[in-house]
Amino acid sequence: MAEALSFDVAIVGGGPAGQAAAIQLAGHGLSIAVVDEQARPGGQILRQPPRAFRVAHWLAGRSYRALHAQFAAFEALPVTWLGGHSVLDAAPGRLLLHGPDGAVSVTARRILIAAGCQDLAVPIPGWTLPGVYSAGGVQAMVKSQQIVPGARVLLAGTHPLQLVIAEQIVRGGGTVAGVLFAQSRAAMLAPMLRDPAAAFRRATDLLAGQAALATLRRAGVPVRYGVGLTALRGSDWVSEAITTDGTIACDAVGLCYGFVPQSGLPRMLGAEVVQAGPAGGWRCVHDEWMRTSVAGVFAAGETTGVAGAAAAAAGGALAGIGIARDLGSLAPDAAERAAAAPRRVLARHRRFAALLDAIADPRGHFPALEPETLVCRCEDVPHAALCAEVATGASANAIKRATRCGMGLCQGRNCEPSLLRMIAAPDPGFTARFPARPVTIGDLAGD
Amino acid sequence: MSAIRIDDDVQRGTPIRILVDGAPIACFEGETIATAMLAADRLAFRQDTRGAGRGMFCNMGSCCECMVTLVGSGRRVRACLADARDGMEVSTRG
Repeated sequence: MAEALSFDVAIVGGGPAGQAAAIQLAGHGLSIAVVDEQARPGGQILRQPPRAFRVAHWLAGRSYRALHAQFAAFEALPVTWLGGHSVLDAAPGRLLLHGPDGAVSVTARRILIAAGCQDLAVPIPGWTLPGVYSAGGVQAMVKSQQIVPGARVLLAGTHPLQLVIAEQIVRGGGTVAGVLFAQSRAAMLAPMLRDPAAAFRRATDLLAGQAALATLRRAGVPVRYGVGLTALRGSDWVSEAITTDGTIACDAVGLCYGFVPQSGLPRMLGAEVVQAGPAGGWRCVHDEWMRTSVAGVFAAGETTGVAGAAAAAAGGALAGIGIARDLGSLAPDAAERAAAAPRRVLARHRRFAALLDAIADPRGHFPALEPETLVCRCEDVPHAALCAEVATGASANAIKRATRCGMGLCQGRNCEPSLLRMIAAPDPGFTARFPARPVTIGDLAGD
Repeated sequence: MSAIRIDDDVQRGTPIRILVDGAPIACFEGETIATAMLAADRLAFRQDTRGAGRGMFCNMGSCCECMVTLVGSGRRVRACLADARDGMEVSTRG
């Protein structure tokens, strides 16, 4: 293994939160590394096209404007960009990474985890057929690789983001077979009527949703409410979706039931997490400077709760200010003054996020599973095997040992929320284990 | 069925070619192995224990469902994170 790289601050995640933190930290003479699995910064929201591509008018919409500006500011910073690197292990003051040249050890006086979120993986009969994706996965194909994954793409679930994804597919010249919301339209509107002020403050997003609906209407895309997905069928790949209101022919499906924080690294560090929103998952707890319960470790962005890019950027800025203050680069009173604005923005956007959570609440809309439906995709553990173990009153960790659910390459990222829904009693979930990402023994040994 | 490359306003990298299970696939510099495969209607990246073909799921490195083997080095890589390189040989058979 190469000699350890040493920095004042190591930031995990090059999305809005990580970028905002780096921007705040710059100019204090601190050495900063930013680690990301993607080759280029941007996170999932601004998932960059490859450098070899030229994409005119890329993500030109109004809702992306602030993110483009932040990206440009970040790109101009003198930070060490460790793109294409995965975090395998995390401890206070230390990260173990895996990149193109094998394992890399990094030490840092402060660590910021801004690892973002992921789609809630929702099992449904047929969901392991090729051509079935998380909706975020479909969107990333469109944004970054400029590819629409099928000739007739179906989006289904409960989250309004599927309107935006469908619009991006249509604008890219693709065909959307339909957008299905399992909940009724009235159920989606009710939360907005309960907190119109919160809704109004994020008018840009609401307008984007309205514009998306108009585009879909012009393109003849059926947008339906109160229609749930029951099963996906096909032989070599998905070819039709069975819904509560008939069958839809399609050759790609994006499942869109919500998002959960990427909680693996905070949990590996021993940082306190609590249950996230109605979609499930765990969010990292933090104080007024975005410090976690572990000394020297900060968290920001959707690792601390899924609330959108603006909230992530505000949390990241606050973490950057907090770290500079912690390292003595910023006087406490100056930090307090600098923190006021991002704190206001964060609180405002979290209020909207609560509203969005209520609109998109997937509970009560999860598809019923067949006994042989695989819940754990990595280890091929069917629903029936989990039912049998859950009936014994076993914990998630005990069920993991008994069935191998959560023991595979994804380390339970996909199956844990499903299993915890099955376990009625409070359960801390799977213990986060090394390595967080797949790696060969040879790479760890430095061969 | 087929995935479509978006053409409007998009200029891709140099045309290259990779081999997937011995079959040549035309693609472009900058594309991931996953994109090259999807665009060539190769949706299965591996087989599960029941012998069923399994596709990529998350496209962001989390789910590891798109792991393929690079012939030669024997390295297992997530096809959604790994760039296609001219002449690269990929196996979906573990």
